[in-house]
Order: sequence, then structure tokens, then C-alpha cells
Amino acid sequence: MDTYRFLEHTADMGIEATAASLEGLFVQAARALNEMIFGQELFGGSESLQIDVSGEDLGDLLVRWLTELLYLIETDYFVASRFMIDTLTPYRLQARVAGERLHPDNMHAVREVKAITYHRLDVTSSSRGWRAQVYVDL
Amino acid sequence: MSVPIQRIDACRWRIPKEGAMRTEGLVFATKEMIAFLQKEQALEQVRNVATLPGIVGPSIAMPDIHWGYGFPIGGVAAFDPDEGVVSPGGVGYDINCGVRLLRSALPIEEIRPIAKRLADTLFRNVPSGIGSCRKDLKLLVQQERNVLVQGARWAVDHGFGTKEDLLHIEEGGALSGADPELVSDRAMERGRAQLGTLGSGNHFLEVQEVEEIQDPQAAESLGLFKGQMTVTIHTGSRGFGYQVCDDYLHIMQKASRKYGIDLPDRQLCCAPLGSPEGQQYLAAMACAANFAFANRQLITAWVRESFEQVTGRGPEDLRLSVIYDVCHNIAKWERHLVDGQEKRLCIHRKGATRAFPPGHPETPELYRHIGQPVLIPGDMGRYSYVLVGTEKAYHQTFGSTCHGAGRVLSRHAAKRVARGHNIEAELAAKGITIRAAGRATIAEEIPEAYKDVMEVVGVVQQAGIGRIVARLKPVIVIKG
Repeated sequence: MDTYRFLEHTADMGIEATAASLEGLFVQAARALNEMIFGQELFGGSESLQIDVSGEDLGDLLVRWLTELLYLIETDYFVASRFMIDTLTPYRLQARVAGERLHPDNMHAVREVKAITYHRLDVTSSSRGWRAQVYVDL
Repeated sequence: MSVPIQRIDACRWRIPKEGAMRTEGLVFATKEMIAFLQKEQALEQVRNVATLPGIVGPSIAMPDIHWGYGFPIGGVAAFDPDEGVVSPGGVGYDINCGVRLLRSALPIEEIRPIAKRLADTLFRNVPSGIGSCRKDLKLLVQQERNVLVQGARWAVDHGFGTKEDLLHIEEGGALSGADPELVSDRAMERGRAQLGTLGSGNHFLEVQEVEEIQDPQAAESLGLFKGQMTVTIHTGSRGFGYQVCDDYLHIMQKASRKYGIDLPDRQLCCAPLGSPEGQQYLAAMACAANFAFANRQLITAWVRESFEQVTGRGPEDLRLSVIYDVCHNIAKWERHLVDGQEKRLCIHRKGATRAFPPGHPETPELYRHIGQPVLIPGDMGRYSYVLVGTEKAYHQTFGSTCHGAGRVLSRHAAKRVARGHNIEAELAAKGITIRAAGRATIAEEIPEAYKDVMEVVGVVQQAGIGRIVARLKPVIVIKG
């Protein structure tokens, strides 16, 4: 089953995502980032945006995907809640995301994420599917 | 796997040079601290830093060391200008995260009866938490570029503070060499809405009481007296600095390969100090450092505004003046003695504070006879410390000392401890009023989540790399 959980860390926090497909893995990591920032709050919205990021490998691509979503939250106050991945190779991700633009005074965040890091970054596949691990700076 | 470590004396430890290490590690800690550090890989990170090219002297760790990305937090490393490197991981995401201390003419007893009103006013006037900003501060791109070059002076020139404030800020509130051309549009955009904001996590604004004076002569020179009200501001370069770090981590990943630098950890990516990538990072980092100086200057202005609104007194009466403002995430060119010869070195301080000794030309004239003020925040329930720099720090740690308490509990563990407690009521029972923007902040930032900062400064004092002047107790805490 596609899912995610948070990893314990003294100073910061990590995300572990698992999914049957690579596309599903990137979606789970994105949902985990939302929960880390906003808790269990549910977001709707129909505004749609295109995301196109490149990376040097799958790990780098995952960092850049989450960094892009974080940038949208912080700069445009846009929280993506639906993720449609059109292209995903080890070097490029193209996706359409739909979500809600919040009023900056009304963000009600649980915590702020400063950045997505490369520490203990890992994206692997096995007979059971895909697993990713990524840590964020809080 | 535990890192081999040898005790030098009561609070200094050596990590012997082995494998790819180019130098040894030097850790300031108690025996109990070392046992904890072995569990969380921070000592491994001290070793990793020791493998970087051109490192001069040991890879140093302060007693508040904890695990960080690449470099440990609480790490100090010096690099040779010709052989050495600069690493964004040696500065951290929050470039020029730092601390500013204001003194006042008010005894704390005048504040206690109005603490709730003052807390609400500070919380309203100083933006904190995600998305929050001052509606009366809208920056145009050109103005933001000026902030990046002028730092705190930009804020003072625009009516946020006085020229005297600038005399008591590390580097006068502006690092030289800042070049806004080397900063991405994305960093500019993230920064624009976040100038003059406190942020969240461990960043805070505190109204404090001078609870104890340990060095009366130095305290007098700093204008501190027992029972006095002070204000501490702890914040940095916000999204601007995070983005600069992020941008240059990508550049440095490529640069490390280009220059054939073997890295034990991808987050330690770096470039030679003389390379275009190294020079460009330092110029972009200086922009972020200046953004942070301006940020703390703006918040200072809004702190003064808040006190004037609540007390009805003017600036001459309140005398909220800057004692000092220190960076604790920075890389800087400084001159230090190496084997008796003065050398220009690039000092990385990540979660460490400059602590220059008495007589040093870069210590403000007012404090030159006591040493540079060093500001060490603790947790929101206990205390913070004011120290001064020492000769021993200058010779042993490239003029550096600790920066704070350091976390000991993960956020999840802190919430477990907080469960069933009414933290706000417990703080209120200790005479502390708290306001926080983030829904998880109070539980995640409970005092138990941090080391007792008294133990940290105790090690620093015993090792002689800082001298305690005064202890400050929180009365109002504003968190993001």
C-alpha cells in the first residue's frame, strides 16, 4: 500500500515514503511534506499548476520536487493537494498539481520547513516496490 | 559505531587523526555529553570535516554540538586561503542566524504587571510564523538589493533604529563583498515577503530579567544590572538565506566533482576558496548575512515601538539600546595566529559564536577592555547567558565559543513529554508569558527538549573559551 511516515531525528525530521510505483512514491513524499507543515488539515482547490524539475538522479529529483512544492507554499501560499505525474525519469519530472491558494494571514501552519536536504537521501526499489527517505531542515 | 576519542582534560577531548582525516578533532564537552554524542553521529561529523582540503588546526566542536547537515551544529573549522575550501554545509541553511541583546533603563518589576499586554503587542507587531509579514513594509526589488549590500545600515537609514545601533553589531551590521548579482531570483522572491519576520522553530523574541551577575565589572561595561529588563532577538536570514544555501549546494555538488574533492557526506560539498564557485558562494552568503542583520534591526525597531505603545514612554525613558548582535552561522575571513605567524583564514562557524578577546581591534571600543560580548540563548523555560570572549578562545578555537543549548529530544519525543501537561500554565507559574504562532511550537520547544544551557556555558567557562558575565531569565516569550 502506498504510504508514508515521519522519521525521528533530534534536531530535524525525516520522511519515509513507500509505494508500488515510482510515481506513487513521489506523491506520497509530497503528501508527507504537506502534513509536516500543516498537520492533518485537508486542502481542496481547483487551481492547477505545472511543475517541471530536473535532477542528477532519482534522489536529487525527489529533493527538487519537494523543494518546488515548498517554494509554492512559502512564496505563493499555494498548497498542492492533488498530484498528477505525467513524466518521471531518473532525470526529469513533469507534473500537474492542483490545490488551494491560502491567504498569508491564514496559513495556520504547524511548523516551518526551511529546506529539503541531501542527508541520508535514499530512493530504492525492490520486489515489494519503491522506498524513499529524505530529511528536512526545520 | 562509536568514534575513538581521548580525554585531554576535564572538558577537552581529542579525536585522533585516522583514515582520510587531515587533522585531529577537538571537542569541548563533559564525559556525560560525550556519551550522548556517540549515540547521534555528531562526532562522526567532526571527523568528516577533518577530511576537507586545506583545513588549518583541528576540526573543533563546542559543548552544544549536535548532529547537523554536513558539518555538526556547534562546529568550527578554519581553512587556508590557497589550499582550503568553503562549504555551504559549514554555514548552514539559516545564514547569519544570530542573536541580538537590548538593554533597557527599566527594572523588570515595572514590566510584570503589563506582561500580558506587552506580549500581545509584541506578538502583533513582530511578524512570526509562516506567511506572516508587516503590511507597512513592502520592498521593491531595488530596495531588496540595497538591503543585501547595506545590511542593518539600510534599516537605520530608513528610520528603523539609530546610527549608534550599528556600532554594536558584529561587522558593523554589514559583511563586505556582498554581490546581489550572484543571488537567484527565487532567493530574492522568498526574501522579499520575509524581511522583518521572526520565523519559527527555535527562533524567538524574549523579554528577560537580569537574574544574576557573575562578573560585575564586565556587566557594568555592558550596562547590565541585576533586576533589569533586557530583550533578546534570535533569528536569521529567513527564506532568503535558506534559498541561497540550497542554490549553492547544487552548485557545490558539481564543483566538488569538478575539483576532485572526495566527500564522506554529500552535504559537505564545497569548492576551493580561490575558485569562481567558492568566491561566488561567499559573495551570495554575504548578501544573506546582510539580510539577517537588517532583519534583526527591523525587529528591534518594532520591539521599541511595542514598548512605547504599551508603556506610553518615549525612547529616552526606555533606553532600549543594542548591547551587541552576533552571528552564529557564518563563514568569514579573519586573521589568526598559526604556529606563531599571523595568517588570513576563512573561519566557518556553524552554531558557534565569535568570541574575540579584550584588546582585539574588531571588538567595539566600548567593550575593548572586557572582550567581545557573546550571547548564548537557552530554552524558553530556564535562562540565557551573556559572556565575553577570551585570549584562550582566540588561541584555541580561532576566537570562537558555543552558541546555545542544543536539542536533546526529537520533536516527536518532545511532544510525548509535553502530553498531559499544560505548558503555558506551567510557564505562567514560573512567571513566563508565552505567545506562539505555530500549532506545534509550544510542545516541540518545551525546555526539556534542550540541553541545560548552564552546563554548556559551564564547559566553556571551565575551558576558558568564554567568561560568564550574567544570566537572563525569560519573562515574555514570543515564538513563531
